[in-house]
Amino acid sequence: MASGLHGPDQERSRRDRALGLVEAVAVDATLLGILLVMIEFLVLAFSGRRGPAGMLLSAEQILGLLHYGWAAVAGIAIGLLWYIFPGAVGSSPGRALVVGLEERERDLPWSRTAYGWFAAVFIELTFFTGWLITELDLVTFLTQFAKAADIVRGLAHPSTGVLEQGLVLLVQTVFLAFMATAFAIPVAFVLAFPSARNLTRRSFLARLTYAVSRTVMNFVRAVEPLVWALIFISWVGIGPFAGVLALWVHSVAALTKLYSEQIESIDCGPMDAITATGAGTLQVLRYGVVPQVIPPFLSFTIYRWDINVRMSTIIGFVGGGGIGYILKPRVDLGEWGEVGTLVLLIAATVWLMDMISAKIRERIV
Amino acid sequence: MKPGASSPAPRVGAAVAVRTEGLGMVYPTGVRALSEVSLEVREGEFLAVLGLSGSGKSTLLRCINRLIDPTEGKVWVFGEDMTAAEGRHLRRLRRQVAMIFQQFNLVRRHSVLANVLSGSLGRSRVVPSLFMRFGLAERRQAVACLTRVGLADRGASRADALSGGQQQRVGIARALMQRPRVILADEPVASLDPALRHSVMRHIEALNREEGLTVICSLHDIDLVTRYASRLVALREGRLVWEGLPGDFDAATFRDIYGEEAEPAVGSGL
Repeated sequence: MASGLHGPDQERSRRDRALGLVEAVAVDATLLGILLVMIEFLVLAFSGRRGPAGMLLSAEQILGLLHYGWAAVAGIAIGLLWYIFPGAVGSSPGRALVVGLEERERDLPWSRTAYGWFAAVFIELTFFTGWLITELDLVTFLTQFAKAADIVRGLAHPSTGVLEQGLVLLVQTVFLAFMATAFAIPVAFVLAFPSARNLTRRSFLARLTYAVSRTVMNFVRAVEPLVWALIFISWVGIGPFAGVLALWVHSVAALTKLYSEQIESIDCGPMDAITATGAGTLQVLRYGVVPQVIPPFLSFTIYRWDINVRMSTIIGFVGGGGIGYILKPRVDLGEWGEVGTLVLLIAATVWLMDMISAKIRERIV
Repeated sequence: MKPGASSPAPRVGAAVAVRTEGLGMVYPTGVRALSEVSLEVREGEFLAVLGLSGSGKSTLLRCINRLIDPTEGKVWVFGEDMTAAEGRHLRRLRRQVAMIFQQFNLVRRHSVLANVLSGSLGRSRVVPSLFMRFGLAERRQAVACLTRVGLADRGASRADALSGGQQQRVGIARALMQRPRVILADEPVASLDPALRHSVMRHIEALNREEGLTVICSLHDIDLVTRYASRLVALREGRLVWEGLPGDFDAATFRDIYGEEAEPAVGSGL
């Protein structure tokens, strides 16, 4: 009788334990694998080995030589061993993270536990490897400034030749950002509801829309506006329209995320109250959700416009209209005086937008 | 003086307003909030649900109008199976059951009148209601509901500009606007100043005595329970542990429900 009562619980705990083992070993294997690869990288970097051309190996070449597969196998093997025999060296980082520590290890300082030492070594090696991979060179940085001095001198002496054209295109930039934001609002508003976790729990279909919408939006957001600009330039041709479309797509994804997170943080009390009156889904959203999210939505939208003004400069570099369009050739030709004028114009606009948007958002929230 | 002592006793009818059978609720987290709750509430009763916080009072009320779906058992409202209803049918059944909340749950940025009007959403046409357009009859009724709770002059104020007691009266007006037959009140006075509790409870009592509405009200203040309820039930750890009349409630029952550690508050008459 008693065992019958405890049966399901026991089974659950057994499954939990099995899952814990898999998770802990996966964490350990990953960490150990990365650690082994980093050690191999450092050994190769300091071994003085030379490539086919007789030069010392570059970071890129070393990365091509490493034994990733062996590191993965060794990582899993050591991770498993460490999990099975934690007694000798103490809990592994994976066990500490997933399963929790044994009683005797709980109150020890990091320097007296295995996982503490592991983390310390891991962080240290990451830093050294990173230094070498990114080819940091402090000496060059501190001694070669003279080469860049020309540019700085030009920027500090803006020339007035490009002022008029710059101002005209600045207006275009601001409107480009405005149109992209304005068209993004209704789309993001509609998409935000199926992308909010708290509104999509009830049915399988709702959970599916949530998953699909979130995935698509994350993907769209992950693609840089610059890439979107290239796509739309070949679609509708060079000019501000392509820029509007590029910023629009990116803004839809970004605003959907911001809006839906806002929806997720509402007080669900009013929603319950409206549901209890027998109202339908749309009515519940209209009365229970929308009034709570309108002020933050406005604030996010203005902030987004602000971001779009800044982004549209870069979009112009590739032909998406706006002030960036005339900035790029001047950078290429090294006309630093004119570049200085344009940069100052952009900086002034961004500063102004920033100030205005901060003021408005302050009022709303 | 006992406030409202002159109001007539509730007229309890023969019809069963709410019935639950073997009601149980296990939350997805594995926490069991209700088990095997079988209840029968007759039309016109004022049933008080007692119990410590966490004893399942709120869960029970929310299972009745399906704000949460019970995992076991059934609920009938005026003979219709609430647990089996879905979609349009469920919404039609919900219209008969209004709810009053501990935290009032008003739409804070809407006007008081708009909040009362939202009580009629269940029977309004969807598209106009999304633009907050309501018929003249509905708006007249909303004003009447507000007048009834003594807030006729506050219709245009924003809901969050009102005091707690006033907000709860708006909550009552919204419930009344729904033209319900049953009122579920989930700790309606627990977040109010003690001095205001009777004023809010009297409004709920009036709906029971004058309109003949069935009231199911969770309360933890013993003084209020014995004063307003016509029948009591008590929950402990999600189970129905006691049922009786206000007169049957004594110190021994109190300890049964609230545990040996508990002590009745001074002035509760026990």
